[in-house]
Amino acid sequence: MSVSHSHTTETHAHPEMSILRKYVFSEDHKIIGIQFLFTGLIMLFVGGALALLVRLQVGWPNGTIPIIGRWFPASWGEKMSPEFYTMVFSMHASVMIFFVIIPWLTGAFGNFLIPLQIGAPDMAFPKLNMMSYWFMWPALITIIWSFFVEGGAAGSGWTSYPTLASAGMPAGSGFQSPAGPPSGYGQILWLVSLLFVGISSMMGSVNYITTIVNMRAPGMTFFRMPMSIWAMFITAILQAMALPVLTVALILQLLDKTLGTTFFLPPAGMAFGNWHTGPGGGQPLLWQHLFWFYSHPAVYIMILPAMGMVSDIISVFARKPLFGYKPMVYAIAGIAGLGFIVWGHHMFQSGMDPRLGTGFMLATIMIALPSAVKTFNWLGTIWGGNIKYTTAMLNALAFVAMFVIGGLSGIFMAATPVDVYIHDTYFIVAHIHYVLFMSSIFGIFAGIYFWFPKMFGRMMNETWGKVHFVLTFILANCTFYPMHIIGVGGHPRRYYDITIYDVFQHLQPLNVFMSVSAILLGLAQFIFVANFFYSLIWGPRAERNPWHSNTLEWSAPSPPPHGNFEETPVVYRGPYEYGHPDTEQDYAPQTDAKGPAVVAAH
Amino acid sequence: MQKGWSIFFGVILLATFLIWFAAPFFGWWLPENISTFGGGVDNLFYAILGLTTFFFVLTEVVLVYAMWKFVDRGGEKSVYTHGNHTLELVWTAIPAALLLGIAIAQIGVWEKIKYQSRMPAPDLTVSVLARQWEWRMRYPLDNQQFHYEDEDQKAASNLKSRLWAENPNFDDVHAINELHVWKNANVKLWIRTLDVLHSFTLPNLRLKQDTLPGKTIPMWFNAEKSNCEFVVRERSTGKPVTLAFNSKTKLVEVVTPSGREPLEARVADLKGELETSGNKADNWEIACQELCGSRHYAMRGRLYVHADEKSYYAWLQYSRGAQKATSLEAAVSMR
Repeated sequence: MSVSHSHTTETHAHPEMSILRKYVFSEDHKIIGIQFLFTGLIMLFVGGALALLVRLQVGWPNGTIPIIGRWFPASWGEKMSPEFYTMVFSMHASVMIFFVIIPWLTGAFGNFLIPLQIGAPDMAFPKLNMMSYWFMWPALITIIWSFFVEGGAAGSGWTSYPTLASAGMPAGSGFQSPAGPPSGYGQILWLVSLLFVGISSMMGSVNYITTIVNMRAPGMTFFRMPMSIWAMFITAILQAMALPVLTVALILQLLDKTLGTTFFLPPAGMAFGNWHTGPGGGQPLLWQHLFWFYSHPAVYIMILPAMGMVSDIISVFARKPLFGYKPMVYAIAGIAGLGFIVWGHHMFQSGMDPRLGTGFMLATIMIALPSAVKTFNWLGTIWGGNIKYTTAMLNALAFVAMFVIGGLSGIFMAATPVDVYIHDTYFIVAHIHYVLFMSSIFGIFAGIYFWFPKMFGRMMNETWGKVHFVLTFILANCTFYPMHIIGVGGHPRRYYDITIYDVFQHLQPLNVFMSVSAILLGLAQFIFVANFFYSLIWGPRAERNPWHSNTLEWSAPSPPPHGNFEETPVVYRGPYEYGHPDTEQDYAPQTDAKGPAVVAAH
Repeated sequence: MQKGWSIFFGVILLATFLIWFAAPFFGWWLPENISTFGGGVDNLFYAILGLTTFFFVLTEVVLVYAMWKFVDRGGEKSVYTHGNHTLELVWTAIPAALLLGIAIAQIGVWEKIKYQSRMPAPDLTVSVLARQWEWRMRYPLDNQQFHYEDEDQKAASNLKSRLWAENPNFDDVHAINELHVWKNANVKLWIRTLDVLHSFTLPNLRLKQDTLPGKTIPMWFNAEKSNCEFVVRERSTGKPVTLAFNSKTKLVEVVTPSGREPLEARVADLKGELETSGNKADNWEIACQELCGSRHYAMRGRLYVHADEKSYYAWLQYSRGAQKATSLEAAVSMR
């Protein structure tokens, strides 16, 4: 660790950096993490606005849209056109997944926490880290630009299934799509944008893996790492293995759309109206295999880091060691491992051989097991604790309560015959939002409230934090829970108007209820934003270890300087020694040489 | 005060639990099932609902109780434990056994719905061609050609009917967005698409299958309930005519005092109508459930299950007659 020592000294010797190098083109992992945090926050509001547009249309399919309706082309009559609606829901999902959840979990928290929690002065490759953030910008610019091109942004769903997404015009006749206006230029920019996101994530994950393997402080064995780090580590491995597949698929579709190749075009070609595309030679199903081979692991990329952070936060505020540390680690590894052989469950009804569906079903059902083990261990952690209801803890407990719902609803669609009925209904929409909103976002909120003092050296306001939590918890359940019910009623996803169907129209009152809740839910988030920025400037100064936590980041100053630690920390025990009977105080920092006898991690 | 948080969580979670009991009373529930295999799907749904409800209640009750009981007691230390091997084994093994049970229990229903090798010999074959944004149905005049009694003929029959689905016959009957079958008939569908992905979904049948460009995909179902009857009337008087049906040749004839004439030949003088109950619950709609462009939501079809074979063939042969009629009036009368 002499290397890190000299690095620390070096930064101390050169304290003056230009503002540009310090805050903009920074190589400091903490600044990069905060950059990802702010970018994600901005995009959360873009994605949220798109979500509200979806809810406006679904709630009042025949109504005109107040205020923004006036900006629409006159021919729409202050309503959303069906083309616009397909664009809105496609971009809502794309923005939330690729520009909010993944950058927040891996970009913001991964960057901020990894070096701090393992006792390293920075990432293994600081320049690569900086580039990983700056590669998000071409992605951001392209995706925002795509809203303003002919035909609008991509409207083929966030899954971009060929041939709707990939069909192109013959070489030389422009980039409009025969399948619909939002599948033309917007789709091409979507593909380009995701390629940049992929490059950014890949740079991040290589860095995370290297840093965790090579730069742990003395005494920080693998089984003394906090769960956040285990989760980030396994997530980074998932990303590194799955992303190349997505990248390949994106490039193939980009070639189909621009150079007239036919990787996803069927041999006999397709007919749009009177126009025939000419023979292909590819296979539309291939995209689904490649896409889900990445995107199913990506679902775990979007939840595992939150699981790790929640495990840490629950243990701190229950003032009790994490229950079953090693089973928790193995459960994450199990989810990640099984996560690679379940992608076909998105394709049960796709026309894939149904016998293959049986195999994917077996693997999918079994992935519920490690998830159950994690839930039971969280409950085991709070059982017998001394629970302190901070805003961070409330959000973490909400994660657990809601993840149970999101996990259990997954069993329905894993069951192939039930999936026949509920596939592509709102039941799926409910499931994904219970996992990605109700779990991941509550996990992220928990993480922000918890690490805010370390990130910015100030405390967030607890009262307003709790107001925000209460409103979000109630309204998010009002927004997403009834989706299960209308899903059971058969309500299809991605429908502009269900009231034209006799079989679905009686579900419409629930849609109105959910839309109203969604609007209020959106408004409630301004409380969070106000609290965040107010506390950033006027919040009370945070001490070094305000939560009396054990992990290494709390032994550094708040906020830590470039280089993080005054001296390289030495680790004496695992991260969860809370409430040890032999000591006076109820916690024992990992760096404290005098604490309770070293207990082997269970 | 701090215990209030446990109550807050408890109330919200209780509400999510109770909505499942309230929803059926508002009609927000599974639509009526009319297929032979739909019962298996529904049973599995209820079994999983029961099991997940049990685990939901178990975990959330423990969570809320622990939030109540183990609130910060000030000064007192929490129970110091890193875990428990026996507990880990128990809460891994029991869910594992239950999950494995669910996994195995469902294989049979899935095979019955989707495996081509398990599909019964068809009484009726229909070709479904999807495009933006309609379902084009095509019916053979002769369904006997694809029927078989002996399982050995299954492969040959499948090939023959798939080739028919891909290569229209001159005398096929065409209908847009209307799927006609009769009660208790084993229906075989071959679904294809001209352009993008679509998904042939019939909630009342518990049936769904995506179409895939370049592939001809088999589906089957058997509807146990009917929702219509085809009635033929004199165009001039509006009086219903008597029809005779030969169950061997499947020929429908109009009975008149002077003798019998094939329905197909009399279309110009007759008007055929589908009589339905008019009840919304009996409108079994086909909904596309794979995004296929901007009018995805409007790609709506309808299932007509005729009361019997005779009604179906009357509709088929009447439509055939109308389709081939040269007079404008007759062509219009096809609806």
